[in-house]
Amino acid sequence: MAPPSCETATVRVLCPKLLLSSGNQPGALQWLIGSPFFPPFTVVSTFRCIHQSPDLDQESDDLRKLLPKGFEVIGGLIVGDSDAEKSALEAVRATRRLRKSISEGGELDDEKIVGASVDAGTGAIHFFISKTEKLAKLEPVASVVYEEDKSGKYLWENGCLLHCELPIKLPFYFPASSPSESKKMFSEAVDAVITQFKEPNVVYIAETLKKASGDVPKPVVLRGKDFGFGADASNINRLPAAEDQVSDIISCSHLCLNSKPAALVNSAENADKIQISLMLNRSEKSPTSGAPVAEYFPAMEEARVIVVDLNLDVLTYAPKELPLMHAVSNLVIPALVDQLYSLKKIILPHLLMEHPQLRIYHFNPPGVLHPITTIYELNYGETEMKQVDVRKSLHMRLGLPLDRPLLRTANALDLSVNDDSRSNTKKRGSIQLKDVHIGIPSSGVSEDVASVIQGSYEYYHYLQDSFDDSGWGCAYRSLQTIISWFRLQHYTSISVPSHREIQQTLVEIGDKDPSFVGSREWIGAIELSFVLDKLLGVSCKIMNFRSGSELPEKCRELALHFETQGTPIMIGGGVLAYTLLGVDYDEGSGDCAFLILDPHYTGGEDHKKIVNGGWCGWKKAIDSKGKSFFLHNKFYNLLLPQRPNMV
Amino acid sequence: MFDVLKQQDVYTCRHKNSVSECEIFLHQTMVKAVVGEEARLTSAEDRLSRSAIPAEVGLVIGKLSSVLDRGFVFDLIPTPSNDAGEPACSVLETRDDKKKPSKSKSQSSESSSLSIDSDWVAEHARQVSRMLLGGVKVVGIYVWASDSAFKNSTMILCQAIKAVSDAIRHLDPALDEALLIHICYSPRRWNCRTCLLNSSITSSSLRPCDFKLGRVLSSLQRFKCNYSFNFRLPIYSKGESSRQTFTEILRQELAVHEKELKSANAMIDGYLVHNDEPCNTEGEHEIELLFPFMKDIRAEATKNVTGILHFGGSIHSYAYLNVKEPVSQAVTDIKADITRSLQSRLDIICDEAEQDLNPTDVGDDEELRY
Repeated sequence: MAPPSCETATVRVLCPKLLLSSGNQPGALQWLIGSPFFPPFTVVSTFRCIHQSPDLDQESDDLRKLLPKGFEVIGGLIVGDSDAEKSALEAVRATRRLRKSISEGGELDDEKIVGASVDAGTGAIHFFISKTEKLAKLEPVASVVYEEDKSGKYLWENGCLLHCELPIKLPFYFPASSPSESKKMFSEAVDAVITQFKEPNVVYIAETLKKASGDVPKPVVLRGKDFGFGADASNINRLPAAEDQVSDIISCSHLCLNSKPAALVNSAENADKIQISLMLNRSEKSPTSGAPVAEYFPAMEEARVIVVDLNLDVLTYAPKELPLMHAVSNLVIPALVDQLYSLKKIILPHLLMEHPQLRIYHFNPPGVLHPITTIYELNYGETEMKQVDVRKSLHMRLGLPLDRPLLRTANALDLSVNDDSRSNTKKRGSIQLKDVHIGIPSSGVSEDVASVIQGSYEYYHYLQDSFDDSGWGCAYRSLQTIISWFRLQHYTSISVPSHREIQQTLVEIGDKDPSFVGSREWIGAIELSFVLDKLLGVSCKIMNFRSGSELPEKCRELALHFETQGTPIMIGGGVLAYTLLGVDYDEGSGDCAFLILDPHYTGGEDHKKIVNGGWCGWKKAIDSKGKSFFLHNKFYNLLLPQRPNMV
Repeated sequence: MFDVLKQQDVYTCRHKNSVSECEIFLHQTMVKAVVGEEARLTSAEDRLSRSAIPAEVGLVIGKLSSVLDRGFVFDLIPTPSNDAGEPACSVLETRDDKKKPSKSKSQSSESSSLSIDSDWVAEHARQVSRMLLGGVKVVGIYVWASDSAFKNSTMILCQAIKAVSDAIRHLDPALDEALLIHICYSPRRWNCRTCLLNSSITSSSLRPCDFKLGRVLSSLQRFKCNYSFNFRLPIYSKGESSRQTFTEILRQELAVHEKELKSANAMIDGYLVHNDEPCNTEGEHEIELLFPFMKDIRAEATKNVTGILHFGGSIHSYAYLNVKEPVSQAVTDIKADITRSLQSRLDIICDEAEQDLNPTDVGDDEELRY
């Protein structure tokens, strides 16, 4: 298929947010990510360039670890001045240097590169194509298509993920008298592993990851000897040529679900995943076979042995119609090799001491259409300074907000082989329902402009856990719901406190007398803020209202809270406490509604009952009969928890 | 809610939240019916009746399937005379003076009993089981004797069974029952009992069991497996680990290897063993064994090493499976066969080496080829 000529080239931008920096600093560079499997100039995502050194060594190192194989850097976007083409040329040159560095001096790469320039003054983006490295002239792109593809439908309809986990224990020996040779011996041992990947007695087993109901295709066995390794080190960018097509070749789609249930959106979470396992076939005919022999080889001088743990874990993206064998040899194996070298680089300086505990995690960060891979050093835990810096740097690179944890190990993709049943399943001990507001009837105020809570929470209410707090515990339950939100968003790992523990906290900080513990006394917004501060380090804003009638006026402020902070709000007024999950208001009419989660519910964990009974639902400030939801003659205090600025 | 523990053949059931326990005695899954290969067994019977020997003891070769609760007997092997030329089994006449001697001299008296050289039969079993292929085992003993002699010899027979099972247990640790076949010469009939192998075997350990003749050998399926391995074991300096001989190290290695084999995955005729169904295709089947890529570790970090023991080679292994048995049994049998083969080879070589040489320590670069 001949690529389209540049005169008619179209740049398709799939990523939701192209421009990451709002600051418009001149010279700021972003890499444009695409895939060799997509039509040319399709921009799937964009990463900030963090290390702007001339040789881009650090950048290429980072990107090689971060970007799954199947995706590649196809261009650059730079903040420049009014001379768009000149700026874009800089971006193009940087991209070509980066690609060379990433492929570590591979074949002469003369692919077409996309260069884009943002005018710092006007904010206009201009796209260009660089046909070849030699030509300094860029071709302007006439047509740019921005596709609203929030979930990555295009990627996951046409492609799937291949996941390969390979725990390796690698021993190597070096003379006890010259430890400096250890590095050389380790490198040789690593090279031997890489050679082993392509031996004829290696077997690659491909199976579907999701053992969903119904017929599961049988695992596919690919034998190393059938790969013909070494015959032609095919460029990863090329799909198999026509003559390579064998009539009964198995493609990745064989192991993908043919039709998804209607409810499942095509996204990275729901993508088809194929698990690849590497095994050694000890029954493969070996040229040198003889009766078992045990032979002892004494060392010439005393040696030492070191065993290095290398837990490889790679994720690659492949189009569904790609033959499975190609996917393994051109994507999975190079990914394993690259990761092996990355791990080796990290371990080498610490070879003779305590080895860093390296763990690989994959994430689906919001706003990025494809997964990313990270290598975390967890010797001292996640909150250690170095790790915090690593995460901050990743947040910067991916354009993620710096005030919420999105790349913690708890956020990582779960790629284990099991059933895909989540949410609302009854785990042992935990009976709370999650996110009960999802699917409820709309507020009736306006279409699609409600501002609601971001993220997940658990619904706590009266009489749960066989604890009778009916009549006095509503604010406690609201606090429990709020703390569950911070837990589920990974800001904290403490368990949701009981009524007694909440009371004990208030006594500890001196707000209440010791007799408070075990009592049935109410608490209000102030007390909640104390507990959140003491147990979670979370600070809160408090809004006071002399009368319930003042609440509807503050709808806009509340909406802003949900849009920026997105945390649940506790409303305390009169003798009642509620949890507020969202607001919906109409600028024009002044009509507004509040999404209330009522902790006074005394029934069981029955979602239908909860919704139908109005225990979670939209309450209009003034209903159709003219009655107000908020009482005019009572004070109201609102507690607005603030996200801690942490990653 | 309940924890169930099995110790030997006693099941104990304990409620998770309470302290009390109750013991449940469950009947061991015992073989309920045995089929013997008609051709081989009738020819054995013919030989015995023509030979007119008063008694004979020997080994029963076959397999017991706990999955199918059935036993299969392939052949009988008589235990030869011992080194002194004495038969392994003979009849003892214990005359009871109070009774009148019986009229017919050709018939043995009511109070005859058997004398069996249990140790010799056990040694026979040990040597034979080394030579058997996967899935084929020594499953018990048979005895050719009169009804009365048999009835009077229960203790002796139990002793013999115990001796045999103890002798072969190291090749089959899961052995928990054995067969006792009695070929009676008057009236002519075959009688089979299963024997529970406990620490003590008494007459109560014997249970009757169905026995019939049929076609067994022809319906066996053959599985074969080529197995190549290549290990490098570091040998640590004398100071850091206790001194070990070459053979001790190799035996340890074989134990490690056996564990590794047990957890290996298998492919049959190119397909992963997916669900455990019986194999219904004809002909010989090929089993391939798959192991984790590089997780077999025989090196312990940061120790001083004086040399490497290189242990490698190939083994061809066979196993036989009855048509109704699940294929996982063939895989288990192949693995057991490989382990037994290596152990037997090591045993034989060590036996010979110990006769010829003094025990060698690690540090001598002596090559043992076996």
